Amino acid sequence: MTFFARLFSFDCAETKGEFLFYRIFEAIIIYQIIFYAWEWALYIPRLGEVILPLGMANYIDVSFMFSGPYSLINAALVSIFALLGFLKKGRYFYLLAFLCMHLQYIARYSQGEISHGSNFTATALVTFAVAAIFISHRLKRRKVAFGLFIFLIGMGYTSAGLSKLIGTGLSWVDGRHLYLWIGERATDKLSQNGAFQLNFFQELLLDQLWLATTILTIGVLSELFGFLLWFRKTRWVQATILIGMHFGIYISMSINFRAYFIILLIVGYPWARFFDYLLNKNPNSSLNAFLARQKAAPS
Amino acid sequence: MVKKGMYILFGTVLLYAILVATHKGEFWPFSIYPMFSQAGNPWTRTIVRDINEPPDEQWKILMKQELPGKAFALNEIGINQNDLANFISKNEQWNANQINGLRKYFEDKLNDRAFLIFKVQGRLSEEKSDSVAVEYTPYIYIRQDTTLFNPALVESVARASHP
Repeated sequence: MTFFARLFSFDCAETKGEFLFYRIFEAIIIYQIIFYAWEWALYIPRLGEVILPLGMANYIDVSFMFSGPYSLINAALVSIFALLGFLKKGRYFYLLAFLCMHLQYIARYSQGEISHGSNFTATALVTFAVAAIFISHRLKRRKVAFGLFIFLIGMGYTSAGLSKLIGTGLSWVDGRHLYLWIGERATDKLSQNGAFQLNFFQELLLDQLWLATTILTIGVLSELFGFLLWFRKTRWVQATILIGMHFGIYISMSINFRAYFIILLIVGYPWARFFDYLLNKNPNSSLNAFLARQKAAPS
Repeated sequence: MVKKGMYILFGTVLLYAILVATHKGEFWPFSIYPMFSQAGNPWTRTIVRDINEPPDEQWKILMKQELPGKAFALNEIGINQNDLANFISKNEQWNANQINGLRKYFEDKLNDRAFLIFKVQGRLSEEKSDSVAVEYTPYIYIRQDTTLFNPALVESVARASHP
């Protein structure tokens, strides 16, 4: 029980800094959702056939999205519903935004690739939707949404680590596996850009097998301990380790998990306390008064 | 309130588990995050070469330095390489719709250019275990009015449904 009380921060009152932090977090997630919706909307008309149905595409034929204005209309719906959800105009707008976004994803990723780049962003949207539907009190809604999100991303990282041990076993950390992935990514870059050059770190890894093995060992351990995000005391340490892991993936395999970096930077550190510090330095500021009004808004 | 939060969390995790368990580990945005879990397996990707002539009848496997024509960057047509690579490697039956789907990627360039798509396969080298052996197999040749498949790889399907 204590674990959940702390996960949802029910053990302490919400400060103005926490309120400001949550609304900034919510705004960044909504921005990312709208960005993805329009990015995919412009790409979907380039597609012509479903190769691998994902999610609801197992039950509905999404090829209608490939022609006509449907992907653009859907992106507009995502944007409107997400903004109405953000402005607290109704309990079901985040759910509607999520359902439209799911349709956009299964149309965009119907070509065989299973992309995880947007998973955490959309997971946050799911937690906003769940909290909006089931919790009527606004303060508690914020706490439940954030706690649920932290739980799901911690679980996601640990699941990724376990998947590696189940899929391959302890030998997963063999540095030669990293050589295979570097070769694969080199081919991908060549295909995308017409040219590719290994960077200094990739050349170093290919020259030093022990270093490649060490990098993979650190990587899988970082993921396995993802559940440490659940605890306030260890959250910033684990977030820092995971940011380091994503940076390692970026320089060794040229894969940029952009949204993950941003989300870990937001949720991993005690920004709310920093905001409280700034607000307490200027107690008579108009921002202080504005936040007090917003925080006290009726449920 | 803690109890209500717990119920919501367990309900969400239960829904998560049911959806991923019944959809091979993926129901966006829920996932078991299996990326890179199968380490050491050979991989298959694609590259595209801008060429004038169709490949010779052998469609033989090549090394990188033997590739014909010029490298074609998928950035030129705004297509993500993951889509082309997966479209090629996960497509088991090339019917007319799938061939048209592939041609749609290149439609802006097919008026005056021809492309040879290679399957690129990488595996840990048998001779030298800490290096990767990569080979390039010509797979599909496309130009304005033609789509030719490597006969050794997709013999019957391609001939039956050629656009």
